[in-house]
Amino acid sequence: MWKTDLMLLSPEVLTILILNMIFVFFTTIAFILSVKIVLKWDLNSTSSLQYSLENKSYLAATMIKYIFAVKVPLFLFFIFTLDKLSTILTGAMCGAGVVDATDYGNYLFVLKVINLYLFAYWIVLHNEDMKHENYPYTKMKFGVFIVAFVLLITELVLEGLMFGAIDLDELVDCCGTIYSSSGGSYISQVLSMNSSSLLSLFYGNFFFIILFYILKKKYLFSIANVVFIVISIISLIVFFGTYIYELPTHHCGFCFLQSEYYYVGYIIYILLFIGTFYGLVVGLINTSEKTRLQNYNISMIFNIIYVALLSAYPISYYIKNGVWL
Amino acid sequence: MIKIKNITKEYILNKNNSVKALDDVSFNIKEGELIVIKGASGSGKSTLLSLISALGKPTSGEIIVDAKKISKLPDNFASIYRRDNIGFIFQKYNLIPTMSVSENILLPLVPLNPHAKDMSQKLEMAMNMFHISHKRDVLVKSLSGGEQQRVAIARANVNNPKIILADEPTANLDEKLSLRFIEIIKELKILGKTIVIATHDPLFFGLDFVDTEIELSCGKLI
Repeated sequence: MWKTDLMLLSPEVLTILILNMIFVFFTTIAFILSVKIVLKWDLNSTSSLQYSLENKSYLAATMIKYIFAVKVPLFLFFIFTLDKLSTILTGAMCGAGVVDATDYGNYLFVLKVINLYLFAYWIVLHNEDMKHENYPYTKMKFGVFIVAFVLLITELVLEGLMFGAIDLDELVDCCGTIYSSSGGSYISQVLSMNSSSLLSLFYGNFFFIILFYILKKKYLFSIANVVFIVISIISLIVFFGTYIYELPTHHCGFCFLQSEYYYVGYIIYILLFIGTFYGLVVGLINTSEKTRLQNYNISMIFNIIYVALLSAYPISYYIKNGVWL
Repeated sequence: MIKIKNITKEYILNKNNSVKALDDVSFNIKEGELIVIKGASGSGKSTLLSLISALGKPTSGEIIVDAKKISKLPDNFASIYRRDNIGFIFQKYNLIPTMSVSENILLPLVPLNPHAKDMSQKLEMAMNMFHISHKRDVLVKSLSGGEQQRVAIARANVNNPKIILADEPTANLDEKLSLRFIEIIKELKILGKTIVIATHDPLFFGLDFVDTEIELSCGKLI
């Protein structure tokens, strides 16, 4: 049932919902064009149909490019919105409480992260396609868009359902409960991992990223970056976050997005996203040698800064206090 | 050098109405040839020139220039092709009246972002070739019709293109200036340019240095 409580329809939520309607309109048009292109594209043909498809590909690609270019940074706005909503939800201390407040939140969040990478990948694929005369990635990029469209619509539906299902009168769990290792959820099971094992995985993974960078093994480099996304987020919540909060029992992936922690969470997640995204692009898109090297370097630079930033917290804590948490 | 294969260009006016500007036109142009395309107004001459210069795309068929399918080029590559290969002399010149002669001639060089010295050399060469250097700083709107035409030709040649396209180049000129233009075209042919002129001016018909004359009528090759 859709909630019409005015408190829930905050300016941020309204912005998201209005933008979603615009996205649905234009991506539906792009979807219809994409299906036609994927089914009927024949670059060697000089028929009126092929010329028409070539013209339509510009229209569709332009719409998709601008929508995805907005959707990628909009993820940060979504996080910001969750954080703001947490101030009006009883029991929520941060965005974690808002995500967990309904049956849709966790699925929505995971889907948003997947879509973030997918939309950014499409933009890079499109830019690579536009560098060549012979449309090498046109059919592929519209095929990818068809998949992205389905996921986008699913995301927008889940988002609407989530905002609609939030009950302001219901007490929600705070991050302390959600990320507690004593809970019965799958999150709890993951978070009960031993810190030493987790750190070994984290730095071991990072070592392999460096190794594959030096050896220029593009597929292994990409795989290492994919794994790094998962291990990083777990390590951040289980270990590094406690040093940001300077509290051994405070496990949360959202609280450090707040002003109290100087919004450092945004920097951490942006670094992680850019580093791992370009790591993925190295293996997923066939580019010129120069571009591939550029992508390798961007990935390494951001991953190094990310690891350095995270590592600085426990190290500086130890230097200040002489003990580990 | 230029192959025009089964080109059709249809303009859709509305759901029930369309105009076929070109209908299954095919012919070839060799490198260094001078071709005159004859035909009344509305026969498709200008449309054909716009397709050869990749200013537009055909409805069907293809145009191949030096083994490159220019009718299939994406927009940005079509722009590069035009920049590097085509000099276009428009019917109404399309000069910028509030800019000087030298500024108008330099315009095609701007996207190339050349060195200032290189730009200056090309400008001088183009102005000298078409005898317009004495008017270099004069605003184009102050020039006579014949002078404007020479500026248009100089602009079309400043990049040293392989192909010159001229659309009704003498439409706004008297006989004397038209004959002078024909002399300029003769000089360009000697330089090895491939030249395509779309015109219904009878001064161009039967000239000894014209390699081929073709005629369009209602979009079809006669």
